[in-house]
Amino acid sequence: MTIEMTDIVKTYGMNSVEVQALRRVSLSVAKNEYVAIMGPSGSGKSTLMNIIGCLDPPTSGSYSLEGEDVSTMKEDQLAEVRNQKIGFVFQTFNLIARSNVFHNVELPLIYKGVSVAKRRKIAEEALEAVGLADRMKHKPPELSGGERQRVAIARALVNKPSLLLADEPTGNLDSTTGSEIMSLLDDLHADGNTIILVTHEPEMARHAHRIIRLKDGVIESDTASSARAKRTA
Amino acid sequence: MKSLRQVLESLRIGFDSLRANKARGVLTALGIIIGIVAVITTMTAANGLSNNFKESVSALGSDVLYVSRMPWIVTGNFFEFRNRPNLTLEEAELLARRMRSARAVNPTINTSKSIKYRSEVIENVEILGTTDQQMLVASAVPEIGRFLTRFDIRFNKSVCVIGSTVRERLFENVDPLNKTMKIGRRRFRVVGVMEKQGSAAFFGGPDFDSQVFVPITSFVKAFGGSHRDINVAVKAPSQASLADFEFELIGEMRKIRKLRPSDRDNFSINQMDSLVGMFNSVMGVVVTIGLVITTISLFVGGIGVMNIMYVSVTERTKEIGIRKAIGAKRRAILAQFLFESMAICAFGGLVGLAGAFGVTALIDRLVMPATISPGIATLAVVISMGIGVLFGFLPAWKASRLNPIEALRYE
Ligand SMILES: Nc1ncnc2c1ncn2[C@@H]1O[C@H](COP(=O)(O)OP(=O)(O)OP(=O)(O)O)[C@@H](O)[C@H]1O
Ligand SMILES: [Mg+2]
Repeated sequence: MTIEMTDIVKTYGMNSVEVQALRRVSLSVAKNEYVAIMGPSGSGKSTLMNIIGCLDPPTSGSYSLEGEDVSTMKEDQLAEVRNQKIGFVFQTFNLIARSNVFHNVELPLIYKGVSVAKRRKIAEEALEAVGLADRMKHKPPELSGGERQRVAIARALVNKPSLLLADEPTGNLDSTTGSEIMSLLDDLHADGNTIILVTHEPEMARHAHRIIRLKDGVIESDTASSARAKRTA
Repeated sequence: MKSLRQVLESLRIGFDSLRANKARGVLTALGIIIGIVAVITTMTAANGLSNNFKESVSALGSDVLYVSRMPWIVTGNFFEFRNRPNLTLEEAELLARRMRSARAVNPTINTSKSIKYRSEVIENVEILGTTDQQMLVASAVPEIGRFLTRFDIRFNKSVCVIGSTVRERLFENVDPLNKTMKIGRRRFRVVGVMEKQGSAAFFGGPDFDSQVFVPITSFVKAFGGSHRDINVAVKAPSQASLADFEFELIGEMRKIRKLRPSDRDNFSINQMDSLVGMFNSVMGVVVTIGLVITTISLFVGGIGVMNIMYVSVTERTKEIGIRKAIGAKRRAILAQFLFESMAICAFGGLVGLAGAFGVTALIDRLVMPATISPGIATLAVVISMGIGVLFGFLPAWKASRLNPIEALRYE
């Protein structure tokens, strides 16, 4: 199993007003699954993604990623896990604006300690894969939203993560650009990547093979996607 | 290998962010620049003063004792010294006869006169009545012609030896040898010109190159001597310790002056070391004050750097979040910001160094010989980088401890 979570609880606000963003969530995701997480605003989707992505520790519960217990890890160990096992794609792209596209993409490799020559090769390949090899020297503000998100996807992939996490990756894009991004994710899934996607739109969720619905911090349903069912049928 | 690479990357990232904010970096570095210019200039000036001073006092000779009415450095009750009798020529002659072990005994007497050659006049020139023995106690020798001889002294010859500056100003292109010039209203024939020695005038001491030497006997005859105070230079024999020799000298002087055992000395024995000692203690205070002031200015510069680094960290909170999300460890973030502040400070240090070279060149041309030693230059750069680390540390530490989620959410 790639992800094994049991009884994950996340509480915000330690003293006065406590918000329980997640209440005892248990979840397993196997390798090469394509999971969509849906649910109303404030239901805890982003919170769950941040915990899966080792950005935020759970308040309680256990979480192991590829057999490794990450719920007890220290910050620098978690940084290493994020660097090597997880690729993030955010709704707001989160690129470094004053660095060019190439540097943005090679950054995870820098933090891993890869040599310059290898970095160049890997980053160029990743940019080629998202169709932006000719925009390497440009800065993110010079790109369109869809292009920026493709850069972010290239950056998420350079370290060959076991898990690609995308929190509303099309949320800031128009529908055409959004579906371009979605087909890119489809290709990545076909290449063997494990993908978890947060989305509001059923249209997007249909790309996934499994849909988890959250409500008020608990999993309401966990079903195989109807589209997937149709496709396989 | 891997960690070296990561250090280099942090360095590059630090520099990159500086390039994005050039004007701010330069303004911040200004504090460091000023501090470094001040530090280097202080140290260089102190060095230059020291060298200049040592050069000029070395002319006094380290094995020569100077007998005079007043001590060179007056400490204690000035009035006690004021009532002392002048040292006379007769006493000097007696001393010369009694101090058999001395290698030289040279009485001198001085005054200030105007000197004249044809239409050229120089006012207020130091005229020194001296003897042939001066060649034994002082290091400077004539460049052309000769010094005063025993014969000149014995027979009150109206001859003189002039310093190199006097020659330049009074004679210009004329060969001064055997020309007759006027000292006050008396005529003296030039028999020699001294080599260039440099000046202690910066310390209120004599400008050796602007002196005119005449036989002490002719001096007394021409300008009067009974009311004047003379100094006697006594050169110690090479084997004796200076302390023993000083003891002997004091004893002889007391005999000459017929002092009773209960009487205090009514003369003073001076030597170069006492001047050096005084100079060192004065310089010590000056340098300490200078360093305190420059340290404060560097400190203020450092606070400026710290302030800008805090601004930089706050501005780039989101960036820090992004970097952490994709796997930057704490030390990578720490290094990035440390290098950034070090780069600002190193820049300030280098510009400050360049500025200090300019200031030093000015001092060298206008005030006194001065050069920046490689040691001081290196120290300045090291100090400025140190300030970068010292004052950059807290902001960089803060950046490295940011929570990744909160940093990412920062707008
Ligand atoms: N840092 C925080 N401090 C306090 N409460 C928080 C914090 N982060 C999230 N919450 C709360 O936790 C709950 C879940 O938030 P979360 O961001 O996971 O929702 P979401 O499902 O992603 O919503 P959306 O669809 O709007 O993105 C919300 O009630 C939110 O207010
Ligand atoms: Mg959300």
